[in-house]
Amino acid sequence: MTIVDRVRERARATPHAVAMRHKDFGIWQEVTWAAYWTQVELVAHALLALGIEPGDRVAIHSENRPEWLYGDLGTVAVRGITVGLYPTNPPAEVAYLLADSGAAILLAEDQEQVDKALAVRDECPDLRRIVYMEPRGIRGRYDDDLLMSWPEFLALGAEHRAGHPDAVERRMAEAAPDDVMTLIYTSGTTGPPKGVMLTVGNVEFAVDTLVTGGGFTSPPPSERDLALSYLPLCHVAERAFTVWFNSAAGVQVNFAESIDTVQANLREVQPTILFGVPRIWEKVLAQVNIKLESASPLKRAITRFWLRVADRIGDTLVRTGGTHTLGTRLAYAIGWVFCYRALRERLGMRRVRYAASGAAPIAPDVLKFYMGIGIPMHEVYGMSENTAIATANRPGRVRLGTVGEPHPGIELKIDEATGEIMTRHPGNFAGYWRNPRATADVLDPDGWLHTGDVGEWVDGTHVRITDRMKDIIITAGGKNVAPSEIENALKASPYLKEAVVIGDQRPYLVALIGIEPDTVGEWARRRGLPYTTYRDLSEKAETRELVRGIVNEVNARFASVEQVKRFAFLPKELDHEDGELTATQKVKRSAIAKLFEDLVEGMYAR
Amino acid sequence: MTETTRSAAAPAAPDIPTGRSHRVRGRPLLYTSYAQDMALLDTRAKRVWTGLLVVLAFALTVLLQDRSLEVLATAYVMAIGAIGLNIVTGYAGQVSLGHAFFVAIGAYTAAALSGPVDGQRLGYGIAEIWIWLPAAGLVAAAAGVLVAPLATRLRGLYLAIVTLGLVFLGEHIFKEWQELTGGPGVGREAAVPQLFGVRLDQDGPLGTKEQLLYTLMLALLIVFAVAARNLARSRIGRAFAAVRDRDIAAEVIGVPLTRYKVLAFGISSFYAGCAGGLLYTISGYVEPGSFSLLMSVQFIAMVLIGGVATVSGSIAGALFITLLQPLTRSLPSLVPFVSGDTTQTPNVFQVETVLYGLLIVLFLIFEPRGLFGLWIRIRNYWKSWPFSY
Repeated sequence: MTIVDRVRERARATPHAVAMRHKDFGIWQEVTWAAYWTQVELVAHALLALGIEPGDRVAIHSENRPEWLYGDLGTVAVRGITVGLYPTNPPAEVAYLLADSGAAILLAEDQEQVDKALAVRDECPDLRRIVYMEPRGIRGRYDDDLLMSWPEFLALGAEHRAGHPDAVERRMAEAAPDDVMTLIYTSGTTGPPKGVMLTVGNVEFAVDTLVTGGGFTSPPPSERDLALSYLPLCHVAERAFTVWFNSAAGVQVNFAESIDTVQANLREVQPTILFGVPRIWEKVLAQVNIKLESASPLKRAITRFWLRVADRIGDTLVRTGGTHTLGTRLAYAIGWVFCYRALRERLGMRRVRYAASGAAPIAPDVLKFYMGIGIPMHEVYGMSENTAIATANRPGRVRLGTVGEPHPGIELKIDEATGEIMTRHPGNFAGYWRNPRATADVLDPDGWLHTGDVGEWVDGTHVRITDRMKDIIITAGGKNVAPSEIENALKASPYLKEAVVIGDQRPYLVALIGIEPDTVGEWARRRGLPYTTYRDLSEKAETRELVRGIVNEVNARFASVEQVKRFAFLPKELDHEDGELTATQKVKRSAIAKLFEDLVEGMYAR
Repeated sequence: MTETTRSAAAPAAPDIPTGRSHRVRGRPLLYTSYAQDMALLDTRAKRVWTGLLVVLAFALTVLLQDRSLEVLATAYVMAIGAIGLNIVTGYAGQVSLGHAFFVAIGAYTAAALSGPVDGQRLGYGIAEIWIWLPAAGLVAAAAGVLVAPLATRLRGLYLAIVTLGLVFLGEHIFKEWQELTGGPGVGREAAVPQLFGVRLDQDGPLGTKEQLLYTLMLALLIVFAVAARNLARSRIGRAFAAVRDRDIAAEVIGVPLTRYKVLAFGISSFYAGCAGGLLYTISGYVEPGSFSLLMSVQFIAMVLIGGVATVSGSIAGALFITLLQPLTRSLPSLVPFVSGDTTQTPNVFQVETVLYGLLIVLFLIFEPRGLFGLWIRIRNYWKSWPFSY
């Protein structure tokens, strides 16, 4: 059984139930399961008409939208392999990904993505067709045999279906568990991205463990749940929460208009299941603080009081693992009337019954805030290479600062010598695409996957992750320091957006710091500090004082060798297109260290 | 509003089934069709509270004394007139001081149609309300359409002066046309409210005269108010708003100015005519001197104090101004130097006029959106909780 079979089953059982919604001209247009299945079938037929054979690659370069899912499932239906590209990928990376995967067909969202592909077409000899979804700027302007519009593509499918009505059904019946169904490219903080091959069997195991098995939520997700899809679908986490939750459990997926409208869309959709990366959770928390600062004195006083109570409730919940005591229940009930209900409504989290943070480390204080205001927050852990199956904090057994317990039915161990976390289960990937050497590095002959993360057991049940193995800093004094812990403690402040701790082979630790322009800008405005640009704002003496205070506060919590002795401001906001961040907004340490070498040297020279 | 409506989206391919769009429970901001987005009562809370309000208003017939019912019935009729003025002045932005003129036309059309055939004054003996009420509205509307071409050539202050002229013109005609109006100081009997043979201005088995009239006026107010709300959210309403905000820009985006200004005056006058026809059925007597500038100012006060370009504001303003009257009339007993006699100064009528002026000035300075604006302020304060925006 594949996820496509599951969608077909749903289309037969509940044809008129809502599968997904997308916002168009201010209205959330609904897509029923019957419509969903018809679209998938048409795409599959169109791919057959274009000569896609089992194992051929189809690339999708688009923001989250229904066509992403139609393309993905249509490809899997004809036993092809889906390759997701990040919408922010610059042309050079597009060229690399298309060439490395050898994609035959590219489903591009709009003129922007079509332009990127056309610019690098000479480097991608396998590319036979580019199908574009948004005709604006393309129709009537571009004259290229490579291009085909989405309606033409579907018409081709309809024509093929008329000629070969059961061609797709036959292909689907041939599907085997060993079929590779998707390539998920790793973000590549160190080298070029590698394509993680996930098979039908891997994904089925993930569906059984995470979705229908209730590996995350309790009770398991159902047709009554709503989710908001806003993180890139080429990432394994969003694929799980959007595509797999949707097809396996019938969760209604709502596509956000863009990453910038997430907060407004959250308020409209009020999802019940919400996955976010730390950046999102930190940003929402910062917004709460900004809005609170500009609220009227009475509202501010009342809300401040209840947020302090929430903090206490959070403390208790942390102690009990997420279960309420009589006292917290009572405090929460009163606070619900005065603050929490309205606050959660404004954040779009009034109906969230399960919230998760993953894909990067997060400061425990941020999670505690959400737990305090009544949002059941869980940190989870997994990676592309093990189909996102490793550990999760289970409802009622949350342990803050850990990534939770291993899922039932999987093997997870921590190497005694190196501290590396290793997993072994049917979700372990089939290998890196066309890269057996890299595969051999992480997948040992016994079937253990080396995650590259250093961790330790907490109370024998929960796993705490120290850092990425490659990121561990060994200072000139020979001490091992995990930079991400310090960085996250710094980033827990609403004023700081980026913090990169450096100190490998150096006498002491230093940090490159990027301020959060929204909050610091608001802070400066209230103090009457005029500023022009991001750089100007960072270089103000007052800003330096503000940040020094935060750094000192964080330093107080760490041992002397782990303290940041000096810091410097990044002169610009880090950006994917400039090669400073990966597509998933993770900092590329090596690139940063090289780009801002003079800043780093300056901190050691003084 | 119906719970489910056909999705407006066109299918991307011919054989892709489109589903029905549902309101998603507990998500008031998640609109899955334009019908939901435009619904007058789009949340459960609004439906429930509006329903309760209507039930309460009807329940007042048995809860209140006849005297109070009479005052409220008058207020409801004034509200219909105020909604009319709000359509032309609030929604379409054409300042009109001539509202009293259109009210008068409606009042006399209704009175003449329902008056006795062989009476002293003009009369045709058609007492059925469902005939004379639309007729009163239509004749007034026709007068409005005749005046409207002025509005297409004039703007702002000039239009206000021209419509002010209408009031004086009307006053003169109604004073002189004695066969119709009975002349100043004499007057004539007003329209007879008869519904399917039942006289509503007499006590009957269904209730007292005041109860019957109150119920009639309330029902009519609801009909007219809902019609105005519907008009405001339609293509016509949006065109009115465009004309109000900047007539040149409206013309550039393809709104025919003349047509919509004529339409605004026509609809507004229709409302005024109907209000005029109904207003005097309560007292049973019309005097031509009552259609003076003061009446126009009263309507303007209702619109400005209630809230410009809002239907609920017009109703609130009409209630406020009309209920103010019994209050000021009781002034002589409280404040000795204010007289109840028109020949003395200061008298209650002067105090009333001063009060209208004062209230308009205060509202324009402190809350230009009127009573409705006050409500919006209160609502937003709680809606934005726990933040300020």
